[in-house]
Amino acid sequence: MSTASGIRVETVSRVFAARGTTVEALRDVSLDCPAGSFTALIGPSGCGKSTILRLALGLDRADTGTIEVGGLAPSDATKSGITGVAFQDAALLPWRSVEDNIALPLDVLGRPRAAHSAKIAELIALVGLKGFENALPSELSGGMRQRVAIARSLVTDPQVLFLDEPFGALDQILRKQMNIELQRIWMESQATTLLVTHGIDEAVFLADRVVVMQSRPGRISKIIDIDLPRPRRAELFADPAFHKLEAEVASALDGH
Amino acid sequence: MGIDLRRIYGSIRNLAIIVIVWEILGRLQLVASGALPPPSAVVLRLIKDWGDYPGHIGATIFGAGVGFIIGNAVAIAAGVLFALYPLTSRVARGLNIAIFALPAIAISPILVLTLSDPVPRIVLAAIGCYFVTMTATVVGLTQVDARSVDVVRAYGGGKWKALWLVQWRSALPVILSGLRVAAPNAVLGSILAEFGGGGRWGLGVYLLGSLGRAEPDRLWGIGLVATLIAAAAYAVFALIANSITGSSQSVTVPTSLLRSDEEGRVRPLWQRGALIASSIALPFALWWVLLLALRVPAMIAKTPAGLLDYLVLLPSAPIAQGKLVAALAQTLPMTFIGMAAGLALAFALALCSQLWPAVVRAFMPVALVTQTMPLVALTPLLVLMLGRGTAVILAITISVTFFPAFVTMAQGLLMVPRAALEVPKAYGASLFTQLRLVSIPSSLPYLFAATRLTAPRALLGVMIAEWLATGTGLGNLLNQSRGYLDYGMIWSVAFVSVVLSVLFYQVVVVVERRVLGRFGMASAQ
Ligand SMILES: Nc1ncnc2c1ncn2[C@@H]1O[C@H](COP(=O)(O)OP(=O)(O)OP(=O)(O)O)[C@@H](O)[C@H]1O
Ligand SMILES: [Mg+2]
Repeated sequence: MSTASGIRVETVSRVFAARGTTVEALRDVSLDCPAGSFTALIGPSGCGKSTILRLALGLDRADTGTIEVGGLAPSDATKSGITGVAFQDAALLPWRSVEDNIALPLDVLGRPRAAHSAKIAELIALVGLKGFENALPSELSGGMRQRVAIARSLVTDPQVLFLDEPFGALDQILRKQMNIELQRIWMESQATTLLVTHGIDEAVFLADRVVVMQSRPGRISKIIDIDLPRPRRAELFADPAFHKLEAEVASALDGH
Repeated sequence: MGIDLRRIYGSIRNLAIIVIVWEILGRLQLVASGALPPPSAVVLRLIKDWGDYPGHIGATIFGAGVGFIIGNAVAIAAGVLFALYPLTSRVARGLNIAIFALPAIAISPILVLTLSDPVPRIVLAAIGCYFVTMTATVVGLTQVDARSVDVVRAYGGGKWKALWLVQWRSALPVILSGLRVAAPNAVLGSILAEFGGGGRWGLGVYLLGSLGRAEPDRLWGIGLVATLIAAAAYAVFALIANSITGSSQSVTVPTSLLRSDEEGRVRPLWQRGALIASSIALPFALWWVLLLALRVPAMIAKTPAGLLDYLVLLPSAPIAQGKLVAALAQTLPMTFIGMAAGLALAFALALCSQLWPAVVRAFMPVALVTQTMPLVALTPLLVLMLGRGTAVILAITISVTFFPAFVTMAQGLLMVPRAALEVPKAYGASLFTQLRLVSIPSSLPYLFAATRLTAPRALLGVMIAEWLATGTGLGNLLNQSRGYLDYGMIWSVAFVSVVLSVLFYQVVVVVERRVLGRFGMASAQ
């Protein structure tokens, strides 16, 4: 199944037309994420990162080019239940409890919830929300909501995982803990992961490859391989090799 | 949100003041020599008459209740269809506007002719509910937070999954607020149908029967009961809505609304033409099909072709045309004057709500109560007070346009952020400058929304007044034709008044688009 769960983006362009002006969100973007790989997307705001994710999830259609997820067209891949996603906003349903929000993908895919109750409890513990199972989103803080969204993205045991700045609203310490947890989950599940982030340290710590993008038009400007051994531990954040890679990503972001 | 105790206290205080003033006016017979009896007399009379009431109340509530259920079921189903497949809403546009704009009083004789007793009330009650609830459903379903729908779609969920898991639940508060407005409409529809005759029971029948006798206290009693029923129906849904909105408000501010595929799409000219043509043809087709399905005798029921015969082709056509034109010449000026006056008054008062928000906030609950007051119950009372001349037409037309227009505009203006008002103030702007720079421009969308809302109501008001009070114009022509069994004329009046209402509505929509487009504003619902 390893070859079946990669992400392939080929010469994709997407232009948005709104009120007379056009925005070239993506121009000729090609990206290949092999099955089981961990790719981080980083780039200035508005360079098209979320757009790539939306295209790969079948939420939007590319003007030109093709996208395959697990060898399938995006809409078929999502229907077959192999994908998981956490959006930039938590996007929780305000009338559903934490537990019910996490179970939403199961409801969409028509999977019985009873068979997954252990899984849901485990995920709630994983994101540190034990005791909040029945809370409504309005009773949670922004960071807590985002953690619900992360748990939701994992509930289907996805083979392909899309994460759009999932840790944006977390404090620095929790963020590092979640990074280590995410690495563990990824190593256990072997899920192909595409992570959008604004954190250079996060990208370098988690990814096999960091893809740097530039805006106007949105495009890939550089791909940096991260050859740090796994499992990576918290001490790595202080390692000189780590800092060197960070600096490399930073200069690529500056356009060098 | 919760319930604000101070506002409740304020409303109770205002109500008490009104009742006390009314009592004094009534006691002293200050208004039209006793046409306004004091509330105590009304209540005493109500107690004395109470034996008559249960049958009438039961009949009206039955018609309103069944109509409410059927009308809203159809409205919600239609709203779902329109929201999921926007093309269908383009095709049904003509039909929807016709249903919204049709003056209930004009079709009530037709319904009484073609259907047997409880059905006309049910139909008119259902029609009274349809547009409000259908619009609320469409707005609720389409204004859902797009991000929530994205989550469902990201797991391969289609339109119906999104509808089931996200949209209906987030639309529920909007739909409930639609039902809240629809409930008094259903009561009004039922009473209007009772005016058309054909039944022995109902508050409308009771009211009409009591109109000839000079007993203002009884008329006021009937009006009071009708208003209480409508207000109770309104309150039930207001309470339900209040209890569920708490948990369904979006946690964060949605960045974008779900956009329909139709929006911003430019279709080729022939497609647009076909859409408009089919949207005009649909109401006529439905009219024809319904008559065929009901097997009403051709003499009574005029199909579009029958109407064409009557109004254009038959030798007697010029006489019919002459009558219609004469009636229109009386009705139309009244409609325009009444509507303009009602709107102007509402606009002026709504602007005051910006300058003295506290005063108008206290007045608002009273205005909302009058919204639920079936205007037919008001008519006989106004006749008693103002006589049977032009004044009563204007009073009725102004009162049916003023309140909804005021509520629309004032609520809209209350949404203008305080800060926007205070910026000019901070630069020392006078009251007048403040109005000119902020209040008036920001109220434009609501002025148009109010005009759209009230144009058909104004015609309805004039016709009711003509029917019940002055014996002039279209309303009288309708009532007379009913007496002469002139079926062709009954249908003609109904047809002409529906077409006129639709026309008013369309004209307002076109002007609104032009004007708001120039100012880069969106129209208010
Ligand atoms: N639905 C849309 N309509 C019009 N323009 C859009 C739409 N979605 C995205 N864009 C434009 O496309 C560009 C890329 O947007 P995108 O959301 O992919 O950026 P991003 O890289 O995710 O930014 P951020 O880091 O701020 O989340 C932006 O310029 C945005 O304005
Ligand atoms: Mg983004």
